Amino acid sequence: MMNTSRRAFFKTFLSAGAALAVSGTVAHTGPAEAAIQGQITGVCLYVPSLGKASEFVEMMNNNAPGNWTVHPLQGTLTEYYFTTRLLYEEARGSANTFVGVVDPATFAVVHEAIVDSSGSFHYITYQDSNRITFSVQL
Amino acid sequence: MSSFIALPKGVSEESFAKAIKEYRALLGDDRVRTDSASLQSYLKIMIPESEELHKPSAAMYPRTVQEIQAIVAIANKYKTPLWTVSTGKNMGYGSAAPATRGQIVLDLKTMKKIIHVDEELGHCLVEPGVTYYDLQQYFKKHKMNLWVDVPAPSSMASPVGNTADRGVGYTPYGEHFLVSCGMEVVLANGDVIRTGTGGVQNSTSWQSYKWGYGPYVDGLFTQSNYGIITKMGVWLLKGPPPGGYMPFLMKFPKVEMLADIVKTFMPLRLAQIIPNACVVVNAGWEAAGYFTYDKSGKGTNRSTFFKGKGSLPPKVFQEIMDKYKVGAWNFYAALYGSPEQVALNWKYVSGSFKAKFGNQVEIFTEKEAKDDPIFEYRKQLMMGGSTLQEFGLYNWRGGGGSMWFAPVAAARPSECDKQMRLATEILNKHGFDYVSEFIVGWREMHHIIDLLYDRTQPDEMHKAYRCFDELLKVFTKNGYGTYRTNIAFMEKAANTYGPEMRKIHRDLKKALDPNNILAPGKSGINLDIPL
Repeated sequence: MMNTSRRAFFKTFLSAGAALAVSGTVAHTGPAEAAIQGQITGVCLYVPSLGKASEFVEMMNNNAPGNWTVHPLQGTLTEYYFTTRLLYEEARGSANTFVGVVDPATFAVVHEAIVDSSGSFHYITYQDSNRITFSVQL
Repeated sequence: MSSFIALPKGVSEESFAKAIKEYRALLGDDRVRTDSASLQSYLKIMIPESEELHKPSAAMYPRTVQEIQAIVAIANKYKTPLWTVSTGKNMGYGSAAPATRGQIVLDLKTMKKIIHVDEELGHCLVEPGVTYYDLQQYFKKHKMNLWVDVPAPSSMASPVGNTADRGVGYTPYGEHFLVSCGMEVVLANGDVIRTGTGGVQNSTSWQSYKWGYGPYVDGLFTQSNYGIITKMGVWLLKGPPPGGYMPFLMKFPKVEMLADIVKTFMPLRLAQIIPNACVVVNAGWEAAGYFTYDKSGKGTNRSTFFKGKGSLPPKVFQEIMDKYKVGAWNFYAALYGSPEQVALNWKYVSGSFKAKFGNQVEIFTEKEAKDDPIFEYRKQLMMGGSTLQEFGLYNWRGGGGSMWFAPVAAARPSECDKQMRLATEILNKHGFDYVSEFIVGWREMHHIIDLLYDRTQPDEMHKAYRCFDELLKVFTKNGYGTYRTNIAFMEKAANTYGPEMRKIHRDLKKALDPNNILAPGKSGINLDIPL
């Protein structure tokens, strides 16, 4: 089970990201806006050391309801790069929200994968030294 | 309130708006961006300075040499500085961010042509947006038995960008500028020059013969701001026959063994028995790789072992070494050639180390390493493969701060040992760990130290800046130059090379780019700042 602070974090993070994504607003992260329920088709990347898939799915559906797909990044950092490029390019045709929860090493690679696919970010936030959350424009 | 997120120094909003209008007339709206979201990607700096100091005013994406010529004409007209990046992967040196605020990023990742690959002679001609991975895919597609030497971020970095910053790799062609051959460069006045024999009409040897005739000028366009490289020739290795590539690792248990390690391999390196740019990696660097691939599924990093303040105590370092079975020093190198040559050379190499270290050295070939991910990473690097494993370092301390301090050491045992001790002392004094690798060149070593710190902590930002500053000062005082530095320290690093060198750099800038429109501040060359 996730603890309370993590639940609060996901609520803020996902709702804000989702609201921004569906509205097309370009802004820095801030307090959660009300997510536009039912309109979210989201993709979430994460590294397994930061949580389990079932936890991510549960929390996303609780706090930003919609059709969520979660993708654990697996393999080497090289594979993370190419997987992210692929998922981002797929998401551009099929989703309206693309978010992630990753560690610093993974973020270095994922950031470049998004940029190299001509993507840009709604926001990037260091939740703490070892956990970065981000939301990408689609 | 400005409608732009930053403006170039000395350029009014009105003038900048006119320039942007002209750039957009040339390239279209989509290839000239001024919005905050588009420019954010150029601000993922890892240096201990505010992003505000390096915020670009715009980003442009040309596709042709003619477009770049037209861009420099507009830049001269409105004095809008252009910070050129190839793919912008200069991570730990400033990434894609400009040295000074308000420059327009001229992003050449949209110039992605592999113009030709010559399998017979082993060379290619590429545009700046071509990555090492693109080249590898090209070889594969066309069934060419060719290797390209790669730097660590090989999957996404470009040969043009890395060579222009005088980066290095890990095969026998590890010195990238040395194996570049011929450039096409757009000058600030819009002229296009081809170096080497490229100026000869219908030249047949542009990528075969480096020197051309008269003064050799290619070096002027590396670590500089005298032109925009739009094409570059790169020499490629022929892949050895089956059984003709043998990567290996030797682990040494004590930090004090560095001098003896250098003393043992340098004769083998000079004799070309070990022909590649081999590496001597310290325990911190090596362990960071395992943090990323910890099979327990738990997030592991330095804080798993040590929650105190300051640098890691030696006993904790030892604990990390024991857990991940890494050496205090880890020497990776490779042998190349026919299987017979490799077998013979291995006798010399393993024999030399066993004779010197006895049971104090652990030797691993592919057979002993099995599926070890870090051995595999090094194996890939030494054969020009694609890997991004180096970024595992960023999990060492967390927080996203990283600066490469990169002095050059003459490849003498005593000098390498002294540099290691000096760096450790200074880093530890400021509360940081010594995390390093020596990349062995022809007669020197690039002593690559990753100053890893937590960018989310303001006090660590300040400490990291002061630490780097002290490293630069102390190393300079001891006669050690830096081979490359980040955008926060370019001015200071340039100063260490003396006033005469600074003057000639400036005189060249005045002659080639009097309006100072090309990347002011690169390598400390900036006509806006008096010497």
